[in-house]
Amino acid sequence: MKHLIVGNGIAGINAAKAIREMDTTAAIVMVSDETFPPYSRPMISYVLEGSEPHEKLPLFAGNVYEDLNITPVLGNRVAQLDAKKKIVRLENGADIEFETLLIASGADARHIRVPGSELGNIFTMRTQKDVLDQLKAVSQGVENALVLGGGLVGFKAAHALLKRGIKVTMLITSPYPLAMQVDETAGKMILRELEDHGLTVKVGVSVTAFDGDATVENARLDSGETLDCDLVIVGKGVDPSLRFIEQNDIQTGYGILVDKYLCSSIPNIYAAGDAAETFDIARQTRWINAIWPEAAIQGRIAGFNMSGRKVSCPGSLGRNVMRIYGLDVMTMGLANPENTDNFEIIQAGGEKTGAYRRLVFHGDILAGAVLINQIEQGGMLRAMIENRVPVRIPRSCLMSLDFNYSQLL
Amino acid sequence: MKQVIVNPEKCVGCMQCMLACAVAHAKSESLFAAVQETPKPRPRVHVGAGLFNQGFPNRCRHCDPAPCQLACLTGAIFRDAATHTVFINPDRCINCASCAMACPYGVLRFHEDTAAPPGKTVAVKCDNCDARVARGKIPACVEVCKTGALIYDEMGHALDQKTRQVARTMSSDAAAQGLPDTVALYNTLKQATVKAGTAIRR
Amino acid sequence: MFEPRKDVSVTSDGNQLFDKAVKDNVETVWHRHDAQQPQCGFCDMGLSCRICIMGPCRVDPFGQGPQAGVCGADADIIVARNLCRMIAAGAASHSDHGRDLVEVLQAVSKNEAPGYKIRSEEKLLRVAGEYGIQTDGKDPLAVAGELADAMMEDYGMRKKAVTLVSRAPEKRRKIWENAGITPRGIDRETSEMMHRTHMGVDNDWVSLLTQGLRNALSDGWGGSMIATEVSDILFGVPAPKPTMVNAGVLKKDQVNIVVHGHNPVVSEMVSKACISEEMLTLAKAGGATGINLVGVCCTGNELLMRRGIAMAGNHLMTELILSTGAVDMMIVDYQCIMPSIGKVAACYHTKMISTSDKARFPGMEHHEFHPDNAEEKAKTLVKAAIENFGNRKEVFIPVTPREAVGGFSIETILAALGGTADPLIDAIKAGKIRGAVGVVGCNNPKIKHDHGHVTLIKKLIENDILVVDTGCVSVASAKAGFKVPSAIEMAGPGLKEICGSLGIPPVLHLGSCVDNVRILVLVSALADALGVDISDLPVAGSAPEWYSEKAVTIGVYCVASGITTHLGPMPPVTGSMNVVKLLTEGLNDLVGAAFGVEPDPEKAAVFLTRVIEKKRKALGLDSRTV
Repeated sequence: MKHLIVGNGIAGINAAKAIREMDTTAAIVMVSDETFPPYSRPMISYVLEGSEPHEKLPLFAGNVYEDLNITPVLGNRVAQLDAKKKIVRLENGADIEFETLLIASGADARHIRVPGSELGNIFTMRTQKDVLDQLKAVSQGVENALVLGGGLVGFKAAHALLKRGIKVTMLITSPYPLAMQVDETAGKMILRELEDHGLTVKVGVSVTAFDGDATVENARLDSGETLDCDLVIVGKGVDPSLRFIEQNDIQTGYGILVDKYLCSSIPNIYAAGDAAETFDIARQTRWINAIWPEAAIQGRIAGFNMSGRKVSCPGSLGRNVMRIYGLDVMTMGLANPENTDNFEIIQAGGEKTGAYRRLVFHGDILAGAVLINQIEQGGMLRAMIENRVPVRIPRSCLMSLDFNYSQLL
Repeated sequence: MKQVIVNPEKCVGCMQCMLACAVAHAKSESLFAAVQETPKPRPRVHVGAGLFNQGFPNRCRHCDPAPCQLACLTGAIFRDAATHTVFINPDRCINCASCAMACPYGVLRFHEDTAAPPGKTVAVKCDNCDARVARGKIPACVEVCKTGALIYDEMGHALDQKTRQVARTMSSDAAAQGLPDTVALYNTLKQATVKAGTAIRR
Repeated sequence: MFEPRKDVSVTSDGNQLFDKAVKDNVETVWHRHDAQQPQCGFCDMGLSCRICIMGPCRVDPFGQGPQAGVCGADADIIVARNLCRMIAAGAASHSDHGRDLVEVLQAVSKNEAPGYKIRSEEKLLRVAGEYGIQTDGKDPLAVAGELADAMMEDYGMRKKAVTLVSRAPEKRRKIWENAGITPRGIDRETSEMMHRTHMGVDNDWVSLLTQGLRNALSDGWGGSMIATEVSDILFGVPAPKPTMVNAGVLKKDQVNIVVHGHNPVVSEMVSKACISEEMLTLAKAGGATGINLVGVCCTGNELLMRRGIAMAGNHLMTELILSTGAVDMMIVDYQCIMPSIGKVAACYHTKMISTSDKARFPGMEHHEFHPDNAEEKAKTLVKAAIENFGNRKEVFIPVTPREAVGGFSIETILAALGGTADPLIDAIKAGKIRGAVGVVGCNNPKIKHDHGHVTLIKKLIENDILVVDTGCVSVASAKAGFKVPSAIEMAGPGLKEICGSLGIPPVLHLGSCVDNVRILVLVSALADALGVDISDLPVAGSAPEWYSEKAVTIGVYCVASGITTHLGPMPPVTGSMNVVKLLTEGLNDLVGAAFGVEPDPEKAAVFLTRVIEKKRKALGLDSRTV
């Protein structure tokens, strides 16, 4: 058996580990454009903020490729997939045959396309190299940073730079950061916490151009304003890395459509992680939940299926946890449905209490939750959302700080 | 291999296991000295109250596969093959709380710990008292539990016991759940009291 | 913190003030009760023992773990010892309260207690007569001195029985004698109880509990009875008076002083100071329109009984009352004063004053009251309260007060009946009143505040059962509107008719928790009139929300006196089936009454009604099936 895994992120690595659990002899080839050892992508913001060193990024102490007997093909992007011939062609022209293929190619950060966006010190924040580049810029002295976007990446970048004592301005389109993840009350609490620590937020404005010599010096806004900035981080979201896939070859939506075994429309070709479009449990629709823990689990499940052990994936669930100065924020599932008609929402606490909890119910099924501080019980709520078990106990139990597992028995 | 097995119906909520656990993970391993230590030792087992305020010792199940391990961003959470114990390496832990989001039992806590670098907040949970077991002792929570809510046994043996107990219950007074009269009476009255009560969490 | 608003009480002021307290970040008894969950099952079942330090020990109720303490005591012994120590503590509390009153009586007799006096000479002489004191032509103060000495003698242990046991029906006294539980001395029985429960003394659970009965009787027919009688002598025999209840009795424009605790020795002097011209003038100068003295807990009941002073709330309201921000001073004596209230008061401008050398509290200023200085001290405190009026901030008084009638002593009940118990007996014989239940006791956060009291009383009066109440129950029932003559509309037709013709409410307020002895006196009178024992009467007792050791003792002396008694929360005895069976069944053979435990007040009403109908049947009266 010959398995080919495109991508050495956590999905790819976990797939390889799962294959090895099942089959000690199968050949595993892993292709990646990154030459750095498999590392913890979510940790890069910790490196930017300075709480963890860059050297701690790798996930494994030794050489994981050797330990798992993987043939690594690094520093190469896949140029083309020939699904019929079961061949992958690399950008350097080499072909690799496979019997089963896992597309765990992940996603690429979106760039901003305005005049001056090619200037130095304008970064995305996706890879360990991005953060190394950012650190280099920071070490040369950065006073004013500009963060574009109030999503997870923008918010994490802003948080990290603030912690370094850099003045940060954030441009967002929604009235508060993390609008995709949290509701207004929580969002305002987060905004307030960041502002209290020096963040400037501008709502509803965007950059029209950057000026500078070699590196960026200021940003022009559509409001007519000009902002001094010597570092820019673009957090405008990610797109699945699927350029090597021919149209009509494999069924795709926004990502690769997979069934519950994470198999694409072509047998023996699987997808996992940020490139895979799975079924979102909370939304009850197809969705890409481009988050680390999903990639980790999907990779493992895909690996089992590739080696012949049928394991189904119940679907994916958006979720995030972050610590923002004095706030611990956990958000999961459909925490902020646009149309609340069919939902019952319980919330309590808020800025004054210093803690907040919000539960979103669809009938008697828990569909989403936001927790600010006192997050230890979050995993139980996540399990309830994921398992879609009807909530039979008083809902106030779930709101209580004393909520514990025995109440679910 | 012996492991800690929980019989929740036998928990009377005395919280002895919490005290013993904190002490077992203190520098001094002595109750009277432990309360003076910095960082303050904290338990890894948490006795929560059920819907009728009955006790419930909640501890890490050392799941396999462990959701916390899969969710760990840094590889700090790992399984010891010999003891099947899921451990957290406090040096690798970055206190990101991803494990808390993954754990369906809510057993993770975040605080400073004697086993962690000084001043560092890390994720903490049950380690099956590996240090005690290595010295030939049994886990601290089991040692202090006098009701059999926490036992240290071979899983197979414990299951046999349980099966026999269930069989006895089926053949006699099912309503009493095979509990002694005193406990059955206590449970009945306790439930009635809670029903007449107003615990504000409900 | 996250909980959406919850009703902790069946009362509107309770819930609104709870919300206010939460808003003000005040930690309440409910928060602490929640934080304590789960409570230790060993302790809850009575199976833990801290009596000696070979221990502490506990017995595994599941039978696998240890079945005896280090000393060898098994579940029966440990449970019995623990319960007996509760009885001893309860008896000690009431009886020591009684002793303080006797000391005031003593001081009055020597003219060493300015401000205090003999208010009921009639009662003084009557009680002195019961003590065999020659009263003819004697100066009342001399009689008071002799009576105080004789009562002090009851605390000691040189006599065969405490004096007032003679008030019990002869049949009852015979039962006690045969069972060996006639109380010999008030302090003696408590001392002996503590002695017997020491490691290695009495290790027969039946014998232990038998002494428990005797210890409780030493309170009911001794310490508590002395407390009530001396209170009547010193402060007057209560007579029905209109009053007001609930948090709305606090007044926005007046200096609000709240007295809290149990002993009228302090509160009576405070009440006297509050109505003095000097203080009123000061209050007006301070911008208030007057001085408003109100009570919480039993010291409030004492004042209500004799002065018609309004009651702001019962046990679980003591913290909440402070969250009105309207209390300028709270003066406490002892018992049931939560150590937390100093902290609660710190969130507001309220001045907290402790007054007893035996009861000090964090966050309170200590001003020790003694018979010789009480009058002066009271004035100083009222002055300080007036000064504090100006420091008020936001005031939130959520409700308007409710009317009630209180102050039914046995003397006034008999007077209302025309001097004898006959009309009441006739009504019982005719079946118009089925019987009577004394609903007594505390609040307990385990039961929704006042839910047990109000639900039970409503059911009882609906069933034509006359209710007498004391202590925290009396505030609950007054707040629920049972204590006005028009409340007969809520009563069954027979009870409605009788109470209507007498112009009394269907629920009679008999006083504070030591005043439960008034119930003993009343049932003795009824039993004597009928020529039967107390246990033959269609009466029962109930403590639907009890929490304290004193309540255990009251329950035990009621049962030992022949009154079957219901308890709402379970006592910590379920660890021993033997003890449970003795308390709920076995005692019937010994004293003709037993305990019943039922947290649900609706079911408790059925239990109590059954007890009464069964007694009626045994007396040859008509009986309903329930």
